[in-house]
Amino acid sequence: MTMVDEQALAGLLQQAAESIAIPDGAEERIVSKALSVEADRAMKVTPSDVAVIPRSRLAAVVPRGARARALSVAAAVIVVAGGIALSAVALKGSPGGTSSSALSATAAHAGATYGHSGSEAVPSVPTKSANTERSAADGSTSTKGSAFGPSTGSGLPEGVSQSAKIEATGSVDLTIPDGKLQSVLTTLTAVATADGGFVAGTQAQIGAGSPGSPSSGTIVLQVPEPTFASIVSQVQRVGHPTSVTTSSTDVTGQYVDLQARITALQASRQQYLTIMSQANSIGDVLAVQSQLETLQSQIEQLQGQLNVLNSQTTYGRLTVTLTEAGHHVTPPPIHLQSGIGKAWSAGVGGFVSGVEWLIRISGTVLFVLLALAVLAWGGRWAWRMGRRQMI
Amino acid sequence: MRGRADEDDGDELAAWLREGYDRSFRTACLILGNRADAEEAVQEAFLRAWRFRASLGTGAAFKPWLYRVVVNTCNSKLRQEIPHRDRRSGQELLDSVLPVDDPPGRIAQSRDVVSALQDLPLPLRIVVVLRYYADLSEREIATAIGRRPGTVKSRLHEARRLLAEHPALRSETPDASRSESEVLP
Repeated sequence: MTMVDEQALAGLLQQAAESIAIPDGAEERIVSKALSVEADRAMKVTPSDVAVIPRSRLAAVVPRGARARALSVAAAVIVVAGGIALSAVALKGSPGGTSSSALSATAAHAGATYGHSGSEAVPSVPTKSANTERSAADGSTSTKGSAFGPSTGSGLPEGVSQSAKIEATGSVDLTIPDGKLQSVLTTLTAVATADGGFVAGTQAQIGAGSPGSPSSGTIVLQVPEPTFASIVSQVQRVGHPTSVTTSSTDVTGQYVDLQARITALQASRQQYLTIMSQANSIGDVLAVQSQLETLQSQIEQLQGQLNVLNSQTTYGRLTVTLTEAGHHVTPPPIHLQSGIGKAWSAGVGGFVSGVEWLIRISGTVLFVLLALAVLAWGGRWAWRMGRRQMI
Repeated sequence: MRGRADEDDGDELAAWLREGYDRSFRTACLILGNRADAEEAVQEAFLRAWRFRASLGTGAAFKPWLYRVVVNTCNSKLRQEIPHRDRRSGQELLDSVLPVDDPPGRIAQSRDVVSALQDLPLPLRIVVVLRYYADLSEREIATAIGRRPGTVKSRLHEARRLLAEHPALRSETPDASRSESEVLP
Protein backbone atom coordinates (compact mmCIF):
# COMPACT_ATOMS: atom_id res chain seq x y z
CA MET A 1 0.00 0.00 0.00
CA THR A 2 1.48 3.36 -1.02
CA MET A 3 1.07 6.38 1.18
CA VAL A 4 1.74 10.02 0.47
CA ASP A 5 4.42 11.53 2.65
CA GLU A 6 3.00 13.71 5.38
CA GLN A 7 5.66 16.42 5.23
CA ALA A 8 5.48 16.63 1.49
CA LEU A 9 1.72 16.84 1.60
CA ALA A 10 1.84 19.52 4.28
CA GLY A 11 4.35 21.51 2.28
CA LEU A 12 2.30 21.32 -0.89
CA LEU A 13 -0.86 22.29 0.95
CA GLN A 14 0.84 25.23 2.65
CA GLN A 15 2.18 26.36 -0.71
CA ALA A 16 -1.22 26.04 -2.37
CA ALA A 17 -2.98 27.81 0.47
CA GLU A 18 -0.51 30.67 0.51
CA SER A 19 -1.23 31.18 -3.16
CA ILE A 20 -4.84 31.98 -2.26
CA ALA A 21 -5.24 35.73 -1.92
CA ILE A 22 -7.14 37.08 1.05
CA PRO A 23 -10.13 39.23 0.02
CA ASP A 24 -9.80 42.93 0.72
CA GLY A 25 -11.91 44.52 3.42
CA ALA A 26 -13.48 41.25 4.50
CA GLU A 27 -12.63 41.72 8.15
CA GLU A 28 -14.14 45.20 8.31
CA ARG A 29 -17.29 43.96 6.66
CA ILE A 30 -17.62 41.20 9.21
CA VAL A 31 -17.07 43.58 12.14
CA SER A 32 -19.63 46.08 10.87
CA LYS A 33 -22.14 43.34 10.15
CA ALA A 34 -21.63 41.77 13.57
CA LEU A 35 -22.13 45.12 15.29
CA SER A 36 -25.24 45.89 13.27
CA VAL A 37 -26.67 42.46 14.11
CA GLU A 38 -25.89 43.07 17.77
CA ALA A 39 -27.58 46.46 17.56
CA ASP A 40 -30.68 44.90 15.99
CA ARG A 41 -30.78 42.32 18.74
CA ALA A 42 -30.34 45.02 21.37
CA MET A 43 -33.30 46.93 19.92
CA LYS A 44 -35.52 43.97 20.62
CA VAL A 45 -34.42 43.67 24.26
CA THR A 46 -35.10 46.14 27.02
CA PRO A 47 -32.08 47.92 28.48
CA SER A 48 -32.46 46.15 31.79
CA ASP A 49 -32.38 42.80 30.02
CA VAL A 50 -29.24 43.81 28.18
CA ALA A 51 -27.59 44.82 31.41
CA VAL A 52 -28.43 41.66 33.23
CA ILE A 53 -28.88 38.65 31.03
CA PRO A 54 -27.48 38.80 27.52
CA ARG A 55 -24.93 36.02 27.96
CA SER A 56 -27.17 33.81 29.99
CA ARG A 57 -29.86 34.24 27.39
CA LEU A 58 -27.47 33.16 24.68
CA ALA A 59 -26.45 30.23 26.78
CA ALA A 60 -30.09 29.37 27.27
CA VAL A 61 -30.76 29.54 23.54
CA VAL A 62 -27.74 27.45 22.77
CA PRO A 63 -27.32 24.89 25.53
CA ARG A 64 -23.86 23.56 26.06
CA GLY A 65 -23.08 19.93 25.65
CA ALA A 66 -22.91 19.30 29.36
CA ARG A 67 -26.24 21.03 29.89
CA ALA A 68 -27.84 18.99 27.12
CA ARG A 69 -26.45 15.83 28.66
CA ALA A 70 -27.73 16.82 32.09
CA LEU A 71 -31.15 17.53 30.64
CA SER A 72 -31.15 14.17 28.87
CA VAL A 73 -30.21 12.37 32.07
CA ALA A 74 -32.88 14.24 34.01
CA ALA A 75 -35.48 13.37 31.39
CA ALA A 76 -34.37 9.74 31.48
CA VAL A 77 -34.63 9.63 35.26
CA ILE A 78 -38.10 11.17 35.17
CA VAL A 79 -39.34 8.80 32.49
CA VAL A 80 -37.86 5.75 34.20
CA ALA A 81 -39.23 6.77 37.59
CA GLY A 82 -42.63 7.38 36.05
CA GLY A 83 -42.51 4.04 34.29
CA ILE A 84 -41.59 2.23 37.49
CA ALA A 85 -44.35 4.01 39.37
CA LEU A 86 -46.87 3.13 36.66
CA SER A 87 -45.69 -0.46 36.63
CA ALA A 88 -45.96 -0.63 40.40
CA VAL A 89 -49.48 0.72 40.24
CA ALA A 90 -50.32 -1.73 37.47
CA LEU A 91 -48.87 -4.62 39.47
CA LYS A 92 -50.78 -3.56 42.54
CA GLY A 93 -54.05 -3.35 40.63
CA SER A 94 -53.54 -6.41 38.46
CA PRO A 95 -54.76 -9.90 39.30
CA GLY A 96 -51.13 -10.82 39.88
CA GLY A 97 -51.70 -10.27 43.56
CA THR A 98 -54.37 -12.92 43.49
CA SER A 99 -51.98 -15.54 42.22
CA SER A 100 -50.03 -15.60 45.45
CA SER A 101 -53.31 -15.73 47.34
CA ALA A 102 -54.31 -18.68 45.24
CA LEU A 103 -51.03 -20.40 46.06
CA SER A 104 -51.47 -19.80 49.74
CA ALA A 105 -55.06 -20.93 49.49
CA THR A 106 -53.88 -24.15 47.89
CA ALA A 107 -51.32 -24.62 50.62
CA ALA A 108 -53.98 -23.86 53.18
CA HIS A 109 -56.24 -26.44 51.63
CA ALA A 110 -53.50 -29.04 51.64
CA GLY A 111 -52.80 -28.37 55.25
CA ALA A 112 -56.44 -28.53 56.15
CA THR A 113 -56.77 -32.00 54.73
CA TYR A 114 -54.24 -33.57 57.01
CA GLY A 115 -53.51 -31.31 59.89
CA HIS A 116 -55.32 -29.64 62.70
CA SER A 117 -54.67 -27.19 65.45
CA GLY A 118 -57.90 -25.36 66.03
CA SER A 119 -56.27 -22.68 68.06
CA GLU A 120 -57.00 -19.82 65.66
CA ALA A 121 -59.71 -17.29 66.25
CA VAL A 122 -62.63 -17.20 63.89
CA PRO A 123 -62.72 -14.27 61.49
CA SER A 124 -64.79 -11.36 62.63
CA VAL A 125 -68.29 -10.70 61.42
CA PRO A 126 -68.33 -11.49 57.73
CA THR A 127 -68.46 -8.62 55.31
CA LYS A 128 -70.50 -7.97 52.23
CA SER A 129 -70.05 -10.60 49.56
CA ALA A 130 -66.94 -11.79 51.28
CA ASN A 131 -66.03 -15.42 51.13
CA THR A 132 -63.59 -16.36 53.80
CA GLU A 133 -61.96 -19.73 53.89
CA ARG A 134 -59.67 -20.55 56.71
CA SER A 135 -57.45 -23.50 57.19
CA ALA A 136 -57.57 -24.91 60.63
CA ALA A 137 -54.17 -26.50 60.18
CA ASP A 138 -52.06 -23.40 59.70
CA GLY A 139 -54.58 -20.71 60.33
CA SER A 140 -54.04 -19.00 56.99
CA THR A 141 -57.05 -17.20 55.68
CA SER A 142 -57.86 -16.25 52.10
CA THR A 143 -60.63 -13.95 51.04
CA LYS A 144 -61.97 -13.93 47.52
CA GLY A 145 -64.84 -12.50 45.54
CA SER A 146 -65.15 -9.29 47.50
CA ALA A 147 -67.41 -6.84 45.74
CA PHE A 148 -67.25 -4.11 48.31
CA GLY A 149 -63.63 -4.01 49.30
CA PRO A 150 -61.81 -5.27 52.31
CA SER A 151 -63.39 -6.00 55.61
CA THR A 152 -63.63 -3.26 58.17
CA GLY A 153 -63.12 -3.64 61.82
CA SER A 154 -66.81 -3.48 62.58
CA GLY A 155 -67.58 -6.28 60.18
CA LEU A 156 -69.60 -3.99 57.95
CA PRO A 157 -68.30 -2.17 54.92
CA GLU A 158 -67.86 1.55 55.08
CA GLY A 159 -70.84 3.59 53.98
CA VAL A 160 -73.37 0.95 54.97
CA SER A 161 -75.63 1.70 57.87
CA GLN A 162 -76.48 -0.65 60.70
CA SER A 163 -79.69 -1.55 58.92
CA ALA A 164 -77.70 -3.29 56.19
CA LYS A 165 -79.12 -6.67 55.30
CA ILE A 166 -76.45 -9.34 55.37
CA GLU A 167 -77.02 -12.89 54.24
CA ALA A 168 -74.47 -15.10 55.98
CA THR A 169 -73.67 -18.73 55.29
CA GLY A 170 -70.87 -20.95 56.36
CA SER A 171 -69.65 -24.47 56.88
CA VAL A 172 -67.39 -26.05 59.44
CA ASP A 173 -65.81 -29.49 59.20
CA LEU A 174 -65.07 -30.94 62.61
CA THR A 175 -63.23 -34.01 63.70
CA ILE A 176 -64.59 -35.34 66.96
CA PRO A 177 -63.52 -38.17 69.28
CA ASP A 178 -64.81 -41.67 68.70
CA GLY A 179 -68.33 -42.29 69.98
CA LYS A 180 -69.06 -38.63 70.60
CA LEU A 181 -71.25 -37.98 67.57
CA GLN A 182 -74.54 -37.90 69.45
CA SER A 183 -73.25 -35.81 72.30
CA VAL A 184 -71.70 -33.32 69.89
CA LEU A 185 -74.96 -33.05 67.97
CA THR A 186 -76.68 -32.29 71.23
CA THR A 187 -74.08 -29.72 72.15
CA LEU A 188 -74.39 -28.00 68.78
CA THR A 189 -78.15 -27.89 69.11
CA ALA A 190 -77.75 -26.25 72.50
CA VAL A 191 -75.29 -23.73 71.09
CA ALA A 192 -77.73 -22.78 68.34
CA THR A 193 -80.79 -22.50 70.51
CA ALA A 194 -79.00 -20.61 73.27
CA ASP A 195 -78.59 -17.60 71.02
CA GLY A 196 -82.09 -17.69 69.64
CA GLY A 197 -81.36 -19.94 66.70
CA PHE A 198 -82.65 -23.36 65.75
CA VAL A 199 -81.63 -26.56 64.04
CA ALA A 200 -82.79 -26.64 60.44
CA GLY A 201 -81.77 -30.25 59.81
CA THR A 202 -79.68 -33.14 61.07
CA GLN A 203 -78.25 -36.19 59.42
CA ALA A 204 -76.17 -38.87 61.18
CA GLN A 205 -74.57 -42.14 60.10
CA ILE A 206 -73.75 -44.21 63.13
CA GLY A 207 -71.07 -46.77 62.35
CA ALA A 208 -72.26 -46.94 58.77
CA GLY A 209 -73.30 -50.56 59.36
CA SER A 210 -69.85 -52.14 59.57
CA PRO A 211 -67.18 -52.24 62.25
CA GLY A 212 -64.40 -49.74 61.77
CA SER A 213 -66.34 -47.59 59.37
CA PRO A 214 -66.59 -43.94 60.32
CA SER A 215 -69.50 -42.39 62.14
CA SER A 216 -70.33 -39.05 60.68
CA GLY A 217 -73.11 -36.55 60.61
CA THR A 218 -74.22 -33.20 59.39
CA ILE A 219 -76.20 -30.60 61.25
CA VAL A 220 -77.55 -27.37 59.78
CA LEU A 221 -77.93 -24.52 62.20
CA GLN A 222 -79.93 -21.37 61.65
CA VAL A 223 -78.58 -18.74 63.99
CA PRO A 224 -79.31 -15.02 64.28
CA GLU A 225 -77.13 -13.10 61.86
CA PRO A 226 -75.59 -10.79 64.48
CA THR A 227 -74.36 -13.79 66.48
CA PHE A 228 -73.24 -15.78 63.46
CA ALA A 229 -69.54 -15.15 63.99
CA SER A 230 -69.61 -16.08 67.66
CA ILE A 231 -71.58 -19.22 66.89
CA VAL A 232 -68.96 -20.26 64.32
CA SER A 233 -66.32 -19.73 66.96
CA GLN A 234 -68.21 -21.78 69.52
CA VAL A 235 -68.81 -24.59 67.05
CA GLN A 236 -65.09 -24.88 66.32
CA ARG A 237 -64.37 -25.41 69.99
CA VAL A 238 -66.62 -28.46 70.06
CA GLY A 239 -64.15 -30.54 68.03
CA HIS A 240 -61.03 -30.20 65.95
CA PRO A 241 -61.90 -28.00 62.96
CA THR A 242 -60.34 -29.08 59.67
CA SER A 243 -62.00 -26.55 57.44
CA VAL A 244 -63.92 -23.36 58.09
CA THR A 245 -65.70 -21.50 55.30
CA THR A 246 -67.83 -18.44 55.81
CA SER A 247 -69.53 -16.32 53.23
CA SER A 248 -71.65 -13.23 53.48
CA THR A 249 -73.56 -11.23 50.92
CA ASP A 250 -74.98 -7.77 51.26
CA VAL A 251 -78.55 -7.84 49.98
CA THR A 252 -79.47 -4.39 51.22
CA GLY A 253 -79.89 -3.11 47.69
CA GLN A 254 -82.19 -5.95 46.77
CA TYR A 255 -84.11 -5.48 50.00
CA VAL A 256 -84.58 -1.74 49.49
CA ASP A 257 -85.57 -2.31 45.89
CA LEU A 258 -88.28 -4.77 46.90
CA GLN A 259 -89.55 -2.37 49.53
CA ALA A 260 -89.70 0.49 47.03
CA ARG A 261 -91.56 -1.58 44.49
CA ILE A 262 -94.06 -2.71 47.11
CA THR A 263 -94.61 0.88 48.24
CA ALA A 264 -95.18 2.03 44.68
CA LEU A 265 -97.63 -0.78 44.01
CA GLN A 266 -99.47 -0.01 47.21
CA ALA A 267 -99.78 3.63 46.16
CA SER A 268 -101.18 2.54 42.80
CA ARG A 269 -103.63 0.25 44.54
CA GLN A 270 -104.78 3.15 46.71
CA GLN A 271 -105.42 5.26 43.64
CA TYR A 272 -107.41 2.48 42.02
CA LEU A 273 -109.47 2.15 45.21
CA THR A 274 -110.21 5.86 45.04
CA ILE A 275 -111.23 5.51 41.40
CA MET A 276 -113.42 2.55 42.18
CA SER A 277 -115.21 4.44 44.93
CA GLN A 278 -116.13 7.07 42.35
CA ALA A 279 -117.16 4.60 39.63
CA ASN A 280 -120.74 4.95 38.41
CA SER A 281 -121.12 1.94 36.20
CA ILE A 282 -120.68 -1.76 36.63
CA GLY A 283 -118.21 -1.82 33.72
CA ASP A 284 -115.94 0.71 35.40
CA VAL A 285 -116.06 -1.18 38.66
CA LEU A 286 -115.18 -4.45 36.94
CA ALA A 287 -112.27 -2.85 35.04
CA VAL A 288 -110.83 -1.29 38.16
CA GLN A 289 -111.38 -4.51 40.07
CA SER A 290 -109.34 -6.40 37.51
CA GLN A 291 -106.46 -3.96 37.86
CA LEU A 292 -106.68 -4.14 41.63
CA GLU A 293 -106.42 -7.91 41.56
CA THR A 294 -103.35 -7.74 39.37
CA LEU A 295 -101.76 -5.20 41.67
CA GLN A 296 -102.62 -7.20 44.74
CA SER A 297 -101.05 -10.29 43.24
CA GLN A 298 -97.86 -8.43 42.45
CA ILE A 299 -97.74 -6.93 45.92
CA GLU A 300 -98.15 -10.32 47.57
CA GLN A 301 -95.47 -11.84 45.35
CA LEU A 302 -93.00 -9.12 46.19
CA GLN A 303 -93.95 -9.25 49.83
CA GLY A 304 -93.18 -12.97 49.81
CA GLN A 305 -89.76 -12.33 48.34
CA LEU A 306 -89.21 -9.67 50.96
CA ASN A 307 -90.17 -12.06 53.73
CA VAL A 308 -87.79 -14.70 52.43
CA LEU A 309 -85.00 -12.18 52.22
CA ASN A 310 -85.83 -10.97 55.68
CA SER A 311 -85.64 -14.50 57.00
CA GLN A 312 -82.34 -15.16 55.24
CA THR A 313 -80.81 -12.03 56.60
CA THR A 314 -82.23 -12.56 60.04
CA TYR A 315 -80.67 -15.98 60.36
CA GLY A 316 -77.30 -17.16 59.17
CA ARG A 317 -77.06 -20.72 57.87
CA LEU A 318 -74.20 -22.76 59.27
CA THR A 319 -73.58 -26.31 58.09
CA VAL A 320 -71.45 -28.40 60.44
CA THR A 321 -69.99 -31.67 59.18
CA LEU A 322 -68.87 -34.04 61.92
CA THR A 323 -66.47 -36.92 61.48
CA GLU A 324 -65.28 -39.14 64.27
CA ALA A 325 -61.55 -39.43 64.72
CA GLY A 326 -59.67 -42.64 64.11
CA HIS A 327 -60.73 -42.93 60.54
CA HIS A 328 -58.32 -40.44 59.06
CA VAL A 329 -55.60 -43.00 58.61
CA THR A 330 -53.37 -40.85 56.47
CA PRO A 331 -51.01 -38.95 58.69
CA PRO A 332 -50.12 -35.45 57.69
CA PRO A 333 -46.90 -35.71 55.67
CA ILE A 334 -45.69 -32.39 56.95
CA HIS A 335 -45.44 -33.86 60.45
CA LEU A 336 -43.24 -36.67 59.22
CA GLN A 337 -40.73 -34.34 57.62
CA SER A 338 -37.27 -34.36 59.06
CA GLY A 339 -35.12 -31.27 59.30
CA ILE A 340 -33.58 -32.00 55.92
CA GLY A 341 -37.04 -32.51 54.44
CA LYS A 342 -38.21 -29.20 55.81
CA ALA A 343 -35.10 -27.52 54.49
CA TRP A 344 -35.67 -29.11 51.09
CA SER A 345 -39.29 -27.92 51.07
CA ALA A 346 -38.19 -24.44 52.09
CA GLY A 347 -35.57 -24.47 49.34
CA VAL A 348 -38.09 -25.51 46.70
CA GLY A 349 -40.47 -22.86 47.97
CA GLY A 350 -37.75 -20.24 47.80
CA PHE A 351 -36.84 -21.28 44.28
CA VAL A 352 -40.48 -21.02 43.16
CA SER A 353 -40.77 -17.63 44.84
CA GLY A 354 -37.63 -16.47 43.07
CA VAL A 355 -38.95 -17.56 39.69
CA GLU A 356 -42.26 -15.86 40.42
CA TRP A 357 -40.42 -12.70 41.38
CA LEU A 358 -38.36 -12.78 38.20
CA ILE A 359 -41.46 -13.20 36.08
CA ARG A 360 -43.25 -10.47 37.99
CA ILE A 361 -40.51 -7.87 37.46
CA SER A 362 -39.65 -8.89 33.91
CA GLY A 363 -42.26 -6.53 32.48
CA THR A 364 -40.96 -3.61 34.49
CA VAL A 365 -37.37 -4.39 33.63
CA LEU A 366 -38.21 -4.68 29.95
CA PHE A 367 -40.00 -1.36 30.06
CA VAL A 368 -37.11 0.33 31.82
CA LEU A 369 -34.59 -1.10 29.37
CA LEU A 370 -36.66 0.00 26.39
CA ALA A 371 -37.12 3.47 27.86
CA LEU A 372 -33.41 3.78 28.54
CA ALA A 373 -32.55 2.59 25.03
CA VAL A 374 -34.92 5.09 23.43
CA LEU A 375 -33.67 7.88 25.64
CA ALA A 376 -30.05 7.01 25.02
CA TRP A 377 -30.61 6.96 21.29
CA GLY A 378 -32.62 10.18 21.37
CA GLY A 379 -30.18 11.87 23.69
CA ARG A 380 -27.21 10.88 21.56
CA TRP A 381 -28.94 12.09 18.44
CA ALA A 382 -29.99 15.36 20.08
CA TRP A 383 -26.53 15.86 21.52
CA ARG A 384 -24.85 15.36 18.18
CA MET A 385 -27.37 17.55 16.40
CA GLY A 386 -26.96 20.15 19.11
CA ARG A 387 -23.21 20.10 18.75
CA ARG A 388 -23.53 20.40 15.01
CA GLN A 389 -26.20 23.11 14.94
CA MET A 390 -25.09 25.03 17.99
CA ILE A 391 -22.23 26.81 16.28
CA MET B 1 -22.67 53.34 27.60
CA ARG B 2 -23.92 51.15 24.81
CA GLY B 3 -21.50 52.75 22.38
CA ARG B 4 -18.59 51.86 24.65
CA ALA B 5 -19.76 48.27 24.82
CA ASP B 6 -20.07 48.13 21.05
CA GLU B 7 -16.58 49.47 20.72
CA ASP B 8 -15.21 46.82 23.09
CA ASP B 9 -17.07 44.07 21.23
CA GLY B 10 -15.79 45.36 17.92
CA ASP B 11 -12.23 45.31 19.19
CA GLU B 12 -12.61 41.77 20.45
CA LEU B 13 -14.08 40.59 17.17
CA ALA B 14 -11.37 42.38 15.23
CA ALA B 15 -8.79 40.54 17.34
CA TRP B 16 -10.50 37.27 16.49
CA LEU B 17 -10.38 38.12 12.81
CA ARG B 18 -6.75 39.16 12.89
CA GLU B 19 -5.90 35.91 14.57
CA GLY B 20 -7.97 33.54 12.49
CA TYR B 21 -9.46 35.02 9.35
CA ASP B 22 -6.67 34.26 6.90
CA ARG B 23 -6.29 30.64 7.89
CA SER B 24 -10.03 30.18 8.14
CA PHE B 25 -10.55 31.64 4.69
CA ARG B 26 -7.86 29.50 3.10
CA THR B 27 -9.16 26.43 4.91
CA ALA B 28 -12.63 27.11 3.57
CA CYS B 29 -11.19 27.65 0.08
CA LEU B 30 -9.43 24.28 0.20
CA ILE B 31 -12.57 22.55 1.46
CA LEU B 32 -15.04 24.25 -0.84
CA GLY B 33 -12.76 24.89 -3.82
CA ASN B 34 -14.37 28.26 -4.51
CA ARG B 35 -13.42 31.76 -3.34
CA ALA B 36 -16.90 33.23 -3.29
CA ASP B 37 -18.37 30.33 -1.35
CA ALA B 38 -15.40 30.36 1.02
CA GLU B 39 -15.75 34.09 1.66
CA GLU B 40 -19.45 33.71 2.41
CA ALA B 41 -18.85 30.68 4.59
CA VAL B 42 -16.12 32.30 6.64
CA GLN B 43 -18.12 35.49 7.11
CA GLU B 44 -21.09 33.45 8.23
CA ALA B 45 -18.86 31.35 10.48
CA PHE B 46 -17.39 34.35 12.23
CA LEU B 47 -20.79 35.92 12.70
CA ARG B 48 -22.15 32.71 14.16
CA ALA B 49 -19.14 32.21 16.36
CA TRP B 50 -19.43 35.79 17.55
CA ARG B 51 -23.13 35.47 18.20
CA PHE B 52 -22.74 32.25 20.15
CA ARG B 53 -19.43 33.10 21.77
CA ALA B 54 -21.01 32.29 25.13
CA SER B 55 -21.02 28.63 24.14
CA LEU B 56 -17.22 28.65 24.23
CA GLY B 57 -16.65 27.35 27.72
CA THR B 58 -14.15 28.90 30.03
CA GLY B 59 -10.74 27.41 29.40
CA ALA B 60 -11.81 25.73 26.15
CA ALA B 61 -9.38 25.93 23.27
CA PHE B 62 -10.31 28.72 20.88
CA LYS B 63 -8.63 27.39 17.78
CA PRO B 64 -10.41 24.02 17.42
CA TRP B 65 -13.65 25.70 18.39
CA LEU B 66 -13.31 28.32 15.64
CA TYR B 67 -12.33 25.67 13.08
CA ARG B 68 -15.33 23.68 14.14
CA VAL B 69 -17.56 26.62 13.33
CA VAL B 70 -15.85 27.07 9.98
CA VAL B 71 -16.08 23.38 9.11
CA ASN B 72 -19.73 23.23 10.12
CA THR B 73 -20.51 26.25 8.00
CA CYS B 74 -18.67 24.74 5.04
CA ASN B 75 -20.56 21.50 5.55
CA SER B 76 -23.86 23.37 5.63
CA LYS B 77 -22.98 25.22 2.45
CA LEU B 78 -22.03 22.02 0.66
CA ARG B 79 -25.17 20.24 1.84
CA GLN B 80 -27.74 22.96 1.46
CA GLU B 81 -26.62 25.51 -1.10
CA ILE B 82 -23.93 24.33 -3.45
CA PRO B 83 -25.63 21.08 -4.58
CA HIS B 84 -28.54 23.15 -5.87
CA ARG B 85 -26.33 25.29 -8.07
CA ASP B 86 -24.72 24.40 -11.33
CA ARG B 87 -21.28 23.21 -10.32
CA ARG B 88 -18.52 24.75 -12.32
CA SER B 89 -15.84 22.60 -13.81
CA GLY B 90 -12.78 21.66 -11.79
CA GLN B 91 -10.63 24.02 -13.83
CA GLU B 92 -12.88 26.98 -13.06
CA LEU B 93 -12.83 26.07 -9.39
CA LEU B 94 -9.08 26.09 -9.38
CA ASP B 95 -8.92 29.35 -11.28
CA SER B 96 -11.25 30.92 -8.77
CA VAL B 97 -9.05 29.82 -5.91
CA LEU B 98 -5.54 30.23 -7.20
CA PRO B 99 -4.01 33.47 -8.50
CA VAL B 100 -2.45 33.55 -11.93
CA ASP B 101 0.49 35.78 -11.12
CA ASP B 102 2.54 33.13 -9.31
CA PRO B 103 5.48 31.35 -10.94
CA PRO B 104 4.27 28.73 -13.45
CA GLY B 105 5.83 25.81 -11.60
CA ARG B 106 4.29 26.80 -8.33
CA ILE B 107 0.89 27.30 -9.96
CA ALA B 108 1.09 23.84 -11.47
CA GLN B 109 1.94 22.25 -8.12
CA SER B 110 -0.77 24.10 -6.31
CA ARG B 111 -3.26 23.26 -9.02
CA ASP B 112 -2.38 19.59 -8.74
CA VAL B 113 -2.75 19.57 -4.96
CA VAL B 114 -6.06 21.40 -5.03
CA SER B 115 -7.28 19.15 -7.82
CA ALA B 116 -6.36 16.01 -5.86
CA LEU B 117 -7.92 17.49 -2.76
CA GLN B 118 -11.19 18.20 -4.54
CA ASP B 119 -11.33 14.59 -5.68
CA LEU B 120 -11.28 13.36 -2.09
CA PRO B 121 -14.58 12.64 -0.37
CA LEU B 122 -15.63 15.58 1.78
CA PRO B 123 -14.98 13.96 5.21
CA LEU B 124 -11.48 13.00 4.13
CA ARG B 125 -10.85 16.39 2.53
CA ILE B 126 -11.79 18.17 5.76
CA VAL B 127 -9.43 16.17 7.96
CA VAL B 128 -6.57 16.54 5.46
CA VAL B 129 -6.97 20.32 5.31
CA LEU B 130 -7.26 20.63 9.09
CA ARG B 131 -4.27 18.37 9.70
CA TYR B 132 -1.80 19.40 7.02
CA TYR B 133 -2.79 23.01 6.44
CA ALA B 134 -4.42 24.24 9.65
CA ASP B 135 -1.92 22.14 11.63
CA LEU B 136 -4.44 20.84 14.14
CA SER B 137 -3.63 17.74 16.14
CA GLU B 138 -5.77 14.65 15.72
CA ARG B 139 -7.48 15.39 19.02
CA GLU B 140 -8.20 18.97 17.96
CA ILE B 141 -9.57 17.75 14.64
CA ALA B 142 -11.78 15.32 16.53
CA THR B 143 -13.13 18.24 18.52
CA ALA B 144 -13.59 20.30 15.37
CA ILE B 145 -15.56 17.68 13.46
CA GLY B 146 -17.30 16.12 16.44
CA ARG B 147 -15.83 12.66 15.96
CA ARG B 148 -13.48 10.43 17.92
CA PRO B 149 -9.71 10.72 17.50
CA GLY B 150 -9.66 7.17 16.15
CA THR B 151 -12.03 8.19 13.38
CA VAL B 152 -9.78 11.10 12.51
CA LYS B 153 -6.80 8.81 12.39
CA SER B 154 -8.45 6.33 10.09
CA ARG B 155 -9.72 9.11 7.83
CA LEU B 156 -6.26 10.60 7.56
CA HIS B 157 -4.85 7.20 6.73
CA GLU B 158 -7.43 6.63 4.02
CA ALA B 159 -6.94 10.14 2.62
CA ARG B 160 -3.18 9.69 2.36
CA ARG B 161 -3.68 6.40 0.59
CA LEU B 162 -6.07 7.95 -1.92
CA LEU B 163 -3.83 10.96 -2.48
CA ALA B 164 -0.87 8.70 -3.11
CA GLU B 165 -2.87 6.98 -5.85
CA HIS B 166 -4.01 10.25 -7.40
CA PRO B 167 -2.31 10.80 -10.78
CA ALA B 168 -1.84 14.53 -10.15
CA LEU B 169 0.24 13.94 -7.03
CA ARG B 170 2.34 11.02 -8.24
CA SER B 171 4.58 13.34 -10.19
CA GLU B 172 4.63 16.00 -7.43
CA THR B 173 5.65 13.99 -4.39
CA PRO B 174 8.86 12.04 -4.78
CA ASP B 175 8.04 10.00 -1.67
CA ALA B 176 4.58 9.08 -2.78
CA SER B 177 5.55 5.65 -3.98
CA ARG B 178 7.24 4.67 -0.76
CA SER B 179 5.80 1.80 1.08
CA GLU B 180 3.79 2.30 4.22
CA SER B 181 6.52 0.84 6.36
CA GLU B 182 8.88 3.46 5.07
CA VAL B 183 6.54 6.39 5.65
CA LEU B 184 4.95 5.42 8.88
CA PRO B 185 7.11 4.88 11.94
